[in-house]
Amino acid sequence: MKHELLCQPAATAIRFSLEQGDELTCEVGAMIAMTKGITVETTSKSRGGSGGIMKGLKRMFSGENFFLNHFTAQQPNQSLIIGPTMLGDCIHHSLSGGSMIVQGSSWVASDSGIQIDTTWQGFSSAFFSGESMFWVKCSGAGNLFLSSYGAIYSVDVDGEYTVDSGHIVAFEDTLQFRIGKAGKSLIGSFLGGEGLVCKFSGRGKLYCQTHNPPSLGKLLGPKLKPR
Amino acid sequence: MHDVSQDFFGGVFSDKIEGGRAAAKISINSYGLVAETLEEERFEIPFGECQLDKGGASGRMIFCRNSDRSITLFCEERGFPKALETLSTGALSGQLRAIQLKQRGHEKTFLFWLTVGSVMTLIAGVIGYYALIAATQAAVAALPISIDENIGSVAIKSVDLHARLDAGHVATKLVNDIVKELEPHSAIKGLNFRVMVVDEPTVNAFALPGGQIVVYTGLIKKAKSAEQLAGVIAHEMAHATLRHGLKGVGQSLGIIAAIQLVTGDVGGLLALSTQLAQESILTSYSRKSETEADLEGARMLHEAGIDPKNMADFFQMLEKLEGDIPDLLAWISTHPQHADRIARIEDYQKQIPQKPYRLLELPWEEVQNQLAN
Repeated sequence: MKHELLCQPAATAIRFSLEQGDELTCEVGAMIAMTKGITVETTSKSRGGSGGIMKGLKRMFSGENFFLNHFTAQQPNQSLIIGPTMLGDCIHHSLSGGSMIVQGSSWVASDSGIQIDTTWQGFSSAFFSGESMFWVKCSGAGNLFLSSYGAIYSVDVDGEYTVDSGHIVAFEDTLQFRIGKAGKSLIGSFLGGEGLVCKFSGRGKLYCQTHNPPSLGKLLGPKLKPR
Repeated sequence: MHDVSQDFFGGVFSDKIEGGRAAAKISINSYGLVAETLEEERFEIPFGECQLDKGGASGRMIFCRNSDRSITLFCEERGFPKALETLSTGALSGQLRAIQLKQRGHEKTFLFWLTVGSVMTLIAGVIGYYALIAATQAAVAALPISIDENIGSVAIKSVDLHARLDAGHVATKLVNDIVKELEPHSAIKGLNFRVMVVDEPTVNAFALPGGQIVVYTGLIKKAKSAEQLAGVIAHEMAHATLRHGLKGVGQSLGIIAAIQLVTGDVGGLLALSTQLAQESILTSYSRKSETEADLEGARMLHEAGIDPKNMADFFQMLEKLEGDIPDLLAWISTHPQHADRIARIEDYQKQIPQKPYRLLELPWEEVQNQLAN
């Protein structure tokens, strides 16, 4: 399976070139176009892995869809184009045995070597940072595709690193994530517009997005007419 | 050298690996830790060089660095710390204990903030509840009396009045006269008091919002004097003048409305308000309202020149009767704890200046004879 990121970075889509038998699991609604020789199967299970209704429900809690779409190439030389919901970039991350903790709606697709599960990141992250209580945990070995709102950039953290809440896309499981205040004083943190931030410690890769959806919501929400 | 060793699944960070990180099998032997990647690269850290740390996304991942930090091994498996402790024969015990203590510290901080959060939420809830009650009371006081009358006229429809004595009956006249004695001293003016005497053995009396007063002949018969009857009537009139019915409905509605504001359900509010208006007024007032009505009733009696002790005497009599004919004493069931109430009236009497009280010049004997026939 080969992949190509198209139209980067503002409105990225991913084109896959699939050989016969290649499988890809995608977020529901991600497919934009595909050739004739690909079958689609919709289940609440990860391909080859365990799952079912409970896994589906857990995914819903993390901001993902209850169902997953499995694309399988039945003939050689097939092409599949998928894209994320939000306007922004996509990246490819190659997992080799570790895990990646992905923010709710950022998971787009992964191949059959990756299991998708939900992980609990604690009350404090949900209540204080506006992040989700549950995150998607992708583990195994294979290709993982993530999306962002705005552009995406990666940081190799070794030690401590601070990211404003809402800007996290994904991070490796070797990184620890805590909620903290941006400045020395709590009031100062809020007056500075930063409020509570996410503090990472340890070592590993971290993906951040340049924009965050909640801020857009806050900007647009009050201007919308009530239905 | 023992050949005891244990294997775990984990990973390794090293600049020698392409990408800096790889999954690895980690073996612990009696000498130290060995990580072997899928590409068969080997990384070793002897126990003597091991620097342990805990972290990762789950908070349970154990990290192990060598002295120049060029190699970091990590593992999240449950048995890993235990195996480290056992196989290092004590060399790492101190470090393992230190990271465990650090973890406990974090847990304690979390628990502390969780407790603070819960207590604050509780306090906010209690303050909110009382603020809501105060707000409804204030709102009720601002409403016109005509609303009380409307509620009262709805509520009276669910009262069985078929045995009602006519306006010309001596008992009705007697109760009317007592109301007239007390009316000039009521807390608010403009209430139109109307008396209905129902010929039933129930020992009960109640006032509806707006000033309709229902007295059962059972209660008149049980009273020892016109002044005792005046005590009960003063209490019931106080419910009407203090607008307890409206406050009760307002409070229940306010709480329901607040809940529905939070949950976002508005549909049931209307249906509930109608139901509440019909049911809750007739059943019972709250204890607080009863106490208020006792004191207000006592004040009205005192102002009208009637000894408030008569009210206390009536409660005392009911207390003695209780047990003999329990199902007749409906009035008690909605008016509990008479001992407290008697004490409260007596306390009130000690606080107010003494004045000579009079007896009511009413045809008490005649009414009793008429009702006995």
